[in-house]
Amino acid sequence: MIALRQLIAAVAKESRLILRDWHALAVLFVMPVAFVTIMSLALRDVFTERAGVTFSVLIVDQDGKLVGEKLRESFAKDKHFHVELASAPLPDAAQVEAQLTAGRYKFALLIPAKATEQARRRALEQVRSDGRASGHTPSIGMRLLSDPTLRADHRSMLVAFTNGALRAIESRLIAERIVELARTPFGSSAVSAPALAAPELFREVSDEHETGGTRTMPNPTSVQQNAPGWTLLAMFFLAIPLSVTLIKERAQGSLLRLQSMPVPTWVLFCGKIAPYLVINQLQLVLILAVGVWGLPLLGGDRLSLGNAPEAIALLSVSASLAAIGFALLIATFARTPEQATTFSATTVMVLAALGGIMVPKMVMPPAMQQLAELTPFSWGLEGFLDIFIRGGGVREILPEAARLAGFGIACFTLAILRFNGRLRHH
Amino acid sequence: MLAPPVNTAPLIEITGLTKLYHGAQRPALDELTLAIRRGTFFGLLGPNGAGKSTLISTLCGLLAPTGGSVRVFGADVQTDAALVKSAIGLVPQDLALYPTLTARENLSFFGRMQGLGGVRLKERVAACLAVARLEDLADRRVDTYSGGLKRRLNLVIGLIHEPQLLILDEPTVGIDPQSRNFIHEALRTLHQAGMTILYTTHYMEEAENLCDDIAIIDHGKILARGAVPELLRAHRAGTIVAHLDTDLPDAVAQQLRALPQVRTGRIEARFIEVESDTPDATLAAITEILRGARLPLVSLSLGAMNLEQVFLALTGTRLRD
Repeated sequence: MIALRQLIAAVAKESRLILRDWHALAVLFVMPVAFVTIMSLALRDVFTERAGVTFSVLIVDQDGKLVGEKLRESFAKDKHFHVELASAPLPDAAQVEAQLTAGRYKFALLIPAKATEQARRRALEQVRSDGRASGHTPSIGMRLLSDPTLRADHRSMLVAFTNGALRAIESRLIAERIVELARTPFGSSAVSAPALAAPELFREVSDEHETGGTRTMPNPTSVQQNAPGWTLLAMFFLAIPLSVTLIKERAQGSLLRLQSMPVPTWVLFCGKIAPYLVINQLQLVLILAVGVWGLPLLGGDRLSLGNAPEAIALLSVSASLAAIGFALLIATFARTPEQATTFSATTVMVLAALGGIMVPKMVMPPAMQQLAELTPFSWGLEGFLDIFIRGGGVREILPEAARLAGFGIACFTLAILRFNGRLRHH
Repeated sequence: MLAPPVNTAPLIEITGLTKLYHGAQRPALDELTLAIRRGTFFGLLGPNGAGKSTLISTLCGLLAPTGGSVRVFGADVQTDAALVKSAIGLVPQDLALYPTLTARENLSFFGRMQGLGGVRLKERVAACLAVARLEDLADRRVDTYSGGLKRRLNLVIGLIHEPQLLILDEPTVGIDPQSRNFIHEALRTLHQAGMTILYTTHYMEEAENLCDDIAIIDHGKILARGAVPELLRAHRAGTIVAHLDTDLPDAVAQQLRALPQVRTGRIEARFIEVESDTPDATLAAITEILRGARLPLVSLSLGAMNLEQVFLALTGTRLRD
């Protein structure tokens, strides 16, 4: 009961301190709004450029023969693709969709079993004009599944590339069959001229993007790329004022005075967490409001928030815990406000850059993309994209939310250990 | 000053206390043993780096000792930290306040952190504002206060929960004589009301005027302990100091240096300071020589005149970090 009263007093005190520093408070809200507005408007068209973009592609080759081989070769030869071949046991379509939803691949190509055998048979049927076997073998359907965060123009490009690769294989198979027929007696007269013009061994591939169920799934816009990213950056930038207040309290002696009182360390820390958690949520609401209502007024895209406000709230609180835990950890290691400010700003910017906030992960080389997966910014960004673009809900963002909250709790625990250890032994 | 009611039971018992900081060559506290009675106004004196702050931090449960034990009110500071902390009021040397809060808000906050609430908290806030004579400024932000006002508030925050033991770490640094006098009077009143006070200062005069028991500490050890008269008697008892109105002739200076009882000495133009194992005889001999040479005296003293002389005699005149 006493601890609760102490906690309420600590929260009230911290809130007063924050509210009386209007300049710092204004920066916390103006900075992210300015970033989101400027970056969303400035980068609106940048995402349409393909140059330098690398896509990770999963090929599920159930055929294992010529068709699968040639498709793999086509993708592997193109510098814009990073090919990964699914290993046995091969995943089914549902498993592949789950991997796309999780953001592991940008798209996946599913090559059906016996595609080569079927294509050869259909090619033979197509080129024979005597009609002995014509029309019995259906054309082969490939499935191209893509990450819904992929921009529409990138998706179109992938569809075109895949169809182009299929046409090349088709030509080769038809040519082989023609040669085969030509070697038989009266072979050349048996070749069907229409088949050469439009053999149709493979059905035209169209894109199927993973929507995560029956939810509506709008196309991503620059604001959907930028708003979550800059919100996360703003949340983590809170590390600066938060760590500085703790260091100032230490320098002023008020922390020493509090430590000389029967106050548990967790009360002192939680007294700081609560007001900053509220600030983080207000930052998010403000940025989302700017994305939904403000940017369209300035000619930008409207931010689509998906259909799961409860998931946004969960992810936002988790991201906030990560940011505040990180801030407290910095505060316990830094000795001066200058150290805390410099270290916080540098670390946050590096982690943000690495986590895909400033530069989308999809334009990073594969090794960098793997490194990005280790940052809380990447977890948060993927979580928001799950909600805004992939139409995900609480279940879909649970892994990201758990990682963020876990990161925050780990930082918080380390901060308390460091704080108590430093105080008692140094 | 009226003699305060003194309970003879020790309130603080420190036994063999040692603190060795990580990477330090020698301990900040070196098997220090000390007992302080309830109701004492205790002065802890020492040069910078002597171990005063380490001792206070250990007493308040802020620092874990390397060895030994500290008991306050019979409770072990390490194992019963919460109990001990709730009975101690600490007034740090720094102005441990929130500048953007008002005096009332500062007092209320620290009061709540001490577990107070409701009517009791309001009463205590009002009482503390009255002690500091800050009633009229209670709702002004602390960053608009003068240094003296801040010091007064810093003091009364330590009193918000009516502690049995008040620990003050140089509470009068950097303030004007009026504010210092005000704080002294407030502390005397608290002491007379029965509060035990542990006071550290570099102002020897303060310690002489306020404290009824003093310990001089250096290199983590207690060098001297007792009331001011005891310390003056016990240290520099054989020191004779004389100031002259005219320059000392060489012949007289030779005579003084030749005195058989003088152990060490400093004899200059108008100043004489000698140490003797038989101070009464030496004092008589010096007086005789000076009278014979018809040299008028400005002052003549035997033994230490003040605490500062004792302090310097014990801790030396070498500058500290």
